[in-house]
Amino acid sequence: MKKKIGVYICHCGGNISDYVDVERVRKSVEGDEGVFLAKTTMFACADSNQKQMVEDIKDQGLDGVVVASCSPKLHLLTFRAVTERGGLNKYNYVHANIREQVSWAHSDDKEGATEKAIKIVKAAVAKVRHAESLDPIEVKSTKAVAVIGAGVAGMRAAIELAEAGSDVYLIEREFFVGGRVSQWDDLTLTEESGKELVTRLYDSVMGQKNVTLFTGAEVVENSGSVGNFELKVKVTPRHFKLQCNGNELQKAIDVCPVEVPDEFNFNITTRKAIFHNFPSEYPQLPAIDIKNCTRCGECEKVCSAVDFSQKTEYLNLKVGSILLATGFDPYEPPKGEFGYGEIDNVVTFPQFKRIIHYCDDKLIYRGKEIKNIAYIYCVGSRQVDGPNKYCSRYCCTSNIHAAITVKKKYKGIHNFHFNRGIRTYGKAEVWYDESSRLGDIYLQSFEHDPPVFEKQGDKTIVKIKDVLTSDRELEVAADLVVLVTGMVPRKDNSIGNLLKIPRGRDNFFNEIHMKLRPVETVIDGVTIAGASQGPKNISESMNSALSAATKSFSLINSGELQLEPTVAKVNEETCEWCGKCDEACPYSAFEKIKVNEKFIAKVNAAVCKGCGMCLPVCPTNALQLIGLSDEDVESMIDALIPNY
Amino acid sequence: MARINPEFTDELKKYGAFDPNACYNCGNCTAVCTLSDEENSFPRKMVRYSVLGLESEIETSLDPWLCYYCGECSMTCPREADPGELMMSLRRWLIAKYDWTGLSGLLYKSLTASVAAFVLLAAIVVWFGAYEHFNLANMMHYGHIFEFAAISLVLLVILLPNIIHMWWLTVMKPKVKAPLSAYFKAIGELIVHMFTQKRTLGCDDNQFRWFEHFILVLGYLSLLFTTVVLGWFETQSMFIIVLGYVESAVIFVVTFDFVRRRIQKDKEISKHSQPSDWFFVIWLFLMGLTAFVVRLFIDIDILDANVWMYQVQLIILVQWALIIVPFGKWTHFLYRSFAMYFHRIIELSAEN
Repeated sequence: MKKKIGVYICHCGGNISDYVDVERVRKSVEGDEGVFLAKTTMFACADSNQKQMVEDIKDQGLDGVVVASCSPKLHLLTFRAVTERGGLNKYNYVHANIREQVSWAHSDDKEGATEKAIKIVKAAVAKVRHAESLDPIEVKSTKAVAVIGAGVAGMRAAIELAEAGSDVYLIEREFFVGGRVSQWDDLTLTEESGKELVTRLYDSVMGQKNVTLFTGAEVVENSGSVGNFELKVKVTPRHFKLQCNGNELQKAIDVCPVEVPDEFNFNITTRKAIFHNFPSEYPQLPAIDIKNCTRCGECEKVCSAVDFSQKTEYLNLKVGSILLATGFDPYEPPKGEFGYGEIDNVVTFPQFKRIIHYCDDKLIYRGKEIKNIAYIYCVGSRQVDGPNKYCSRYCCTSNIHAAITVKKKYKGIHNFHFNRGIRTYGKAEVWYDESSRLGDIYLQSFEHDPPVFEKQGDKTIVKIKDVLTSDRELEVAADLVVLVTGMVPRKDNSIGNLLKIPRGRDNFFNEIHMKLRPVETVIDGVTIAGASQGPKNISESMNSALSAATKSFSLINSGELQLEPTVAKVNEETCEWCGKCDEACPYSAFEKIKVNEKFIAKVNAAVCKGCGMCLPVCPTNALQLIGLSDEDVESMIDALIPNY
Repeated sequence: MARINPEFTDELKKYGAFDPNACYNCGNCTAVCTLSDEENSFPRKMVRYSVLGLESEIETSLDPWLCYYCGECSMTCPREADPGELMMSLRRWLIAKYDWTGLSGLLYKSLTASVAAFVLLAAIVVWFGAYEHFNLANMMHYGHIFEFAAISLVLLVILLPNIIHMWWLTVMKPKVKAPLSAYFKAIGELIVHMFTQKRTLGCDDNQFRWFEHFILVLGYLSLLFTTVVLGWFETQSMFIIVLGYVESAVIFVVTFDFVRRRIQKDKEISKHSQPSDWFFVIWLFLMGLTAFVVRLFIDIDILDANVWMYQVQLIILVQWALIIVPFGKWTHFLYRSFAMYFHRIIELSAEN
């Protein structure tokens, strides 16, 4: 029980004192049990008051401190630090919110506000009476990071972590690195192609001794917690020996009887079961797609590097932190959306990019030369009825850039942009300018009035009520219709499910705080980067990759972690393991252990967040929250409703 | 339903339009325009129609004629798409559209064709002089007959059918149900605008330009009357002689100022000069100047010794009457006033 509690009541320059009689509040707690001094102050957070508090703690020997001021979100940490500077353990500080919860909420009732403030401050005093000094939980951490996804974000993060001195396991599900960027040729902002960017990053990754790259690899199991994750990784073999003769390889590809849609080209072409993602394949070693392979054995006859004896391997990795950079999928319109899958000259934007790649002096699709191209924007983004309410951010810019590319590359191209408002934000505005000066035509409609299609011969007539021409009906005879599709989260969310990463309303991985903690997740030790978190362009992905790398590195750098001690505690005497706490816990912090021939629950302190979900479900009341015990809470309730 | 034609702006650029495609539809041009109102909103609408290549919308519109080119839109345009010059180019395009002979379009688009036409006419006049053995009396006699013939032929054979064509495009094609009375009621509008260009005063900062233009039109029309009807070159009447001097002086002084402005490019309106603009101001200047000098030569009695001076005057006159008046910028004078006339008719019909 504290005997020398200091209470500070803040005016907040009138924000509080205009509605709450702070002097009455002060007097009402002055004589309370354990209260040694009670003061009012104009600004509790001001430097002068902080110094005064430090002096009070030192000179008067205070053993508990309460500040009644604004929301703890604003200044809890400030006054905890003040308490520490005075030489007290910071858990001897209790914060009372009499601004957001009192003066601002009850500005119409000064008397009532003052009474409420008195009760809140008395409750804080009651809590601080029982406060105990606590020390942070210390956890050893492994100095290695698993980076999942070897696209540009993953590779950039891996390089950064390796340079800082961490071991890195770079885990890629596909047989080739580079992700979506390897599928793009021309990029915006810089002159480099996607392949060039991937090459630079790959070379740099390979130059780092402490990066280990796994391709064809997937995380299948996960245990442990921040500082000590244990991952089980399944590595699928390429069925190719490291040395491969180019001629033999070509023969092997030629004889392979299996033909499947080539996902690298968004299914506009086919590939064999033996394949390499020409032209940007790293590692430069082909692979056999064993799911589609018929094991006919023809390739083995012509190519000595084919090796069907390679087996799937499982590896156990120990890492201190996990960085997720699993990227996005392009939106795939359902059959019939803007004629997709029904009208043969309707393609998606990613397919269009690949078509440009394969056409040299004439733009040809399905044997017909393309002159008039209609682009339909916001397909799969900013949906009115569908779930994708968000803007995919990159599409306007990338598409306009591609439209300029085709206009310059081929003769006689006319571009028609059917948009819902162009968002070439930031530096990309120059392409919007360039494209319209080149004669591209922009037509706009609102979401409830999308363009409509009609097939006429080998042309598609696109009609729109153009808001820029006072809603006049206009039409274009298009040779090719490009659906400018946005980004959606990866269809396969197995890694997200495995690590229990929460997803936002948009279904992408969710950060803790969009602005203040943009790369951390509620799962301690797991950071997110790139388009796995939401639509991003390459520059934005790099930014998030670098900050996620820094955040992950800060967790493992010292080899030791300090965690909040305010976690759940199990009373081994009364616990009878019923499993209800385990069911209630959103973080999987419970473990069933056997102690003295009895099964009981154990809390993994590194995983527990002290949320308290387990407390009310425990039938034997065997759980307590450190720093917020039943005794604390009951004493606060008594102070809040004294006459109950 | 109108089909978009992205190649139209390429065609329009041959008439002087600068870069209408740069337009991003902000509407600043229409907002600053002092002549644009809710019923007749320009120039943005015309810029948009041009970008989309909606030819039938443009050819049936009177909007390009309602603009008197103060240039504020071009000064305000954040994309430097130059809507003012676009409106000017649309007027040229419309002149070509109205002209049944097709020669206007040819001369606007091809400088070579224009120069060839000027040279050809000059050669014919020189040949005519030679044919008459440079006999001044004969030349002046036929010159006078030419003036009558040219005026009536150009008016009846070229300009009248073109005006009817304009009427058909802008009143009949949009199916305006105009009662006959509207044609009478609106006639005042035609006269006022033809002789005063009153609408120019609606533009900000255009008062001096309007005044210059006003006295130029008066000077030009009265010189035409003085020469053709009153026979300035033949008359002995002191009053008519002095009148002719004043009128021709007004013409070359004012047009000299116009030429100076086009060279100095100090105002938005004089920044862009197409060959047709140069021909117009320079030939008008030369018309005034040569007429003045010819009469001066007569008065100091040296014209007989200097027949070449009359020859020059006749060349200028023929080129003016057969190129610039029927196919060149002179037609603005007619189309502008008829546009105001038709516009008033359409307004009156809407009121019914």
